[in-house]
Amino acid sequence: MNAIIALCHFCEGHGPQVMFCTQPTHPKEQTELSHEEASALLSNRVRSPSGDSPVSSKSEHTCEGCYSVKTGFVSHDNDAPISYISSKYPNPTQPEIYSLVRNACLRSLSGEVCPGNEGAIFFGNDQQGHVLSYTFQLKDNLARGFQRKYSIIVMMMDKIYLLNSWPFLVPHLKLLIEHLQGKAGKVYESEQSKCPQRAVRLKSSMAGNFLQQRGGNNPARSITELTKDKNIFKILHVAFVWILKACSNRITETLLEGPPTEDSIIDMEKQEETEEGFIKLFTKPANEVSDGDTTPSAEEKEIADIDTPPSELDSIHNLRLLLKVLGESNFHLLTHHVVIGNQVIIRGSYKETIKLILHALMMLVPKGCCRPILHSNDYQESFRCNFLGLTADSSLPSHILSSEMFVLLVEMHLKDENDKPLNDNDFDKFEYSMASPTRLLDKAPTVLQKIEHALKNERFSNGVMEQCLICLKEEWMNKVKVLYKFTKAGGSISEVDTQNLLHVVEAKAEDKPLLQFWTSGLSVSYRNHILTTSKAQH
Amino acid sequence: MSSYADEDPGSFPRGFGYGPDENDTDIQAVATEQKPRILLMGLPRSGKSSIQKVVFHKVSPNETLFLESTNKIVKEDISNSSFVQFQIWDLPGQFNPMDANFDPENIFGGCGAIIFVIDAQDEYMNALTKLHTTVAKAFKINPDIKFEVFIHKVDGLSDDHKIEAQRDIHQRASDNLTDEGLENLRLRYFFYLTSIYDHSIFEAFSKVVQKLIPQLSVLENLLNILTTHSGIEKAFLFDVVSKIYIATDISPVDMQSYELCCDMIDVVNDVSYIYGTKEDGAFDSQSASTIKLNNGTILYLREVNRYLALVCILREDSFDKQGVIDYNFLCFRQAIHEVFEVRQRGQLVTSGEFNQPNGIIK
Repeated sequence: MNAIIALCHFCEGHGPQVMFCTQPTHPKEQTELSHEEASALLSNRVRSPSGDSPVSSKSEHTCEGCYSVKTGFVSHDNDAPISYISSKYPNPTQPEIYSLVRNACLRSLSGEVCPGNEGAIFFGNDQQGHVLSYTFQLKDNLARGFQRKYSIIVMMMDKIYLLNSWPFLVPHLKLLIEHLQGKAGKVYESEQSKCPQRAVRLKSSMAGNFLQQRGGNNPARSITELTKDKNIFKILHVAFVWILKACSNRITETLLEGPPTEDSIIDMEKQEETEEGFIKLFTKPANEVSDGDTTPSAEEKEIADIDTPPSELDSIHNLRLLLKVLGESNFHLLTHHVVIGNQVIIRGSYKETIKLILHALMMLVPKGCCRPILHSNDYQESFRCNFLGLTADSSLPSHILSSEMFVLLVEMHLKDENDKPLNDNDFDKFEYSMASPTRLLDKAPTVLQKIEHALKNERFSNGVMEQCLICLKEEWMNKVKVLYKFTKAGGSISEVDTQNLLHVVEAKAEDKPLLQFWTSGLSVSYRNHILTTSKAQH
Repeated sequence: MSSYADEDPGSFPRGFGYGPDENDTDIQAVATEQKPRILLMGLPRSGKSSIQKVVFHKVSPNETLFLESTNKIVKEDISNSSFVQFQIWDLPGQFNPMDANFDPENIFGGCGAIIFVIDAQDEYMNALTKLHTTVAKAFKINPDIKFEVFIHKVDGLSDDHKIEAQRDIHQRASDNLTDEGLENLRLRYFFYLTSIYDHSIFEAFSKVVQKLIPQLSVLENLLNILTTHSGIEKAFLFDVVSKIYIATDISPVDMQSYELCCDMIDVVNDVSYIYGTKEDGAFDSQSASTIKLNNGTILYLREVNRYLALVCILREDSFDKQGVIDYNFLCFRQAIHEVFEVRQRGQLVTSGEFNQPNGIIK
């Protein structure tokens, strides 16, 4: 979190003072601090920060009460390369930060009124930073009014973030403060029982012993003394660092661009379910099923490879290559099978090329519809996967091509045995033969026609094409949702109604297989949502 | 005094808020913005908050030993509880008049008087330095401001010490001004020896407040007329709640008589509270009290209105003609009402042209 936490004190002699600041340092601003660097930085910081305001010269002669640490503390966070530095003053290389903190300290202790003497308030503006200030008192037997005023301020420039962190910050600051007050309270009680100050003061005033009773000779005591804890600043450092870190883990900022698409919901669900471990379907890397009999070394290689699918832009590039290599009619045949969910099997000896082709084809359907097994030695059933890559020497069970209806087999052979492909995506080095027992409808689904149209348009860059695909998929997913809702709504659904609905969503007869297939790609949350709402209606 | 309606709002805000005592709401409405402001300043631990607590909150002086340090400006509106209308701002001792964060323009801008408290029992060189910077800064912002220096906590000093301290502080403060070329400011310094353990703080505060009352000369004039015609030795017009006297007659004030009068107010107030039927005490415009002392002196208290009381000290033989005194008092009260009514009507009043109250019987 890009914030500064500081402990401030209203000093009897010097007014509001910043005592102890904890500040995260990103390696961007300062390369990862080695120990020497850090200590050099800290020793820098002990000196009063540069700044020509009259206040800074005043802070030169700090008393015991304003004193915190000579150098300070540094904590490195290795997960996120951030160093947390605690010292009396914030980073001296940024004098403007010191003046902001100093200002916030002044306002927190001397300017703003907190209802009740203790509690959190918020103030600030965009120029001076936004501040959450928690004022509190520590008991001090020797102080005026038997207590001293402190405040912990959290300062950031981001108002929304700070206010959203309020429910986290305030209770945790409160815990820390109660810890301090508990310690100070005990010390106070024990001192009070030894020497009740009230009586002492009254007595000295009665005796006319004024000069002795005057505050001059009892200097303000440090917070270490008040709590009788030598490690009090270490505790504060650890607490502040934890608060800074935990607070940033609590809310991460993401740029939100419109409502999430069905694909991104699926992605999120995959993540969530991985953590919960509920749905094996998503979590199991697809090729684990098939790799059972490969040699261990190959397996390791597999796993290393599987984690890096080609980027979306590359896939679209490959898709276009494929269109060129296959020719329009073959490409059309292939993609038609893909979008209506027929199993597409690619058999060949270049497994990386096969993977690239499969990834490219997977761009055409919503993520929820993709169940790929990118590499396998033997045939996998179509309910397991709709994209299957097979090794060249694998054999298909005979029933597949004869009885299984929805399958497309693509065989890949090198055109010239001597002309080996140099790159994985040298698609044109291969000869493709396709075979399917099914005859498809003459007309392809509308969405495929549009996709092909767009792919052929050379003016569309790959980036535009990607957006175009997202839009088309999302458009048709929405139709799928409507239909799904319609079918789950219960009641008797007549054929005429279905026709009418299809008409309304502008779906034609040729789109029906696609709509049916894409229904399987709906996110779990959407399905649950529909099911619960339709149940609730009955 | 010139017509106070024309006065610079910086020093004598026009809405001084003196209205008829009956309609409180009106007073408050008038008073919000333009009440004169008194700043309490000085080094930490010099006794600013204690003064404020003792004078306006009836805190026992011993209890002030246990006050916390003041960390922010404490603003107190005196108008709500009292006939006298002003604001007291108790500034933290750490306040630096040069610090732009505190907006000195705003603080000194609408300010009528600065009370600078110096601890007489402490080393006062630092205090004088601070006094000097404060005065210079405040004068720059608001040239009409009045400077009152309270040489405070003198209860611990012997009489010789007191005089010496006052002389020394006065001398050094003036020297500082001369060095700075601000000699003309010297005339605006007023020094008081004060302590919260006796009535000196009330007296000093009275004098500070009096300067902020534009009708003061009229009130003094009225009191002079009353005392000369009624055989009264000394008369004070008191603000009952704070025991500040907002005017007295021309004869010199001696501390004992002031203390006597203060104590009398306490007595009457307490008796009213104990035996009064009303919730807020039976203290109203009809209240009156006479106390005979064994030295042939009489203390006579009459209410002018809910917040003001006239307390007189007179010889026993002068009191034979009580009827005359009462009648004169009624005239006096009528005149005071007229003074404040004038303000109400928004007419221009100058002390010279003011209708002398008629009908005072010799």
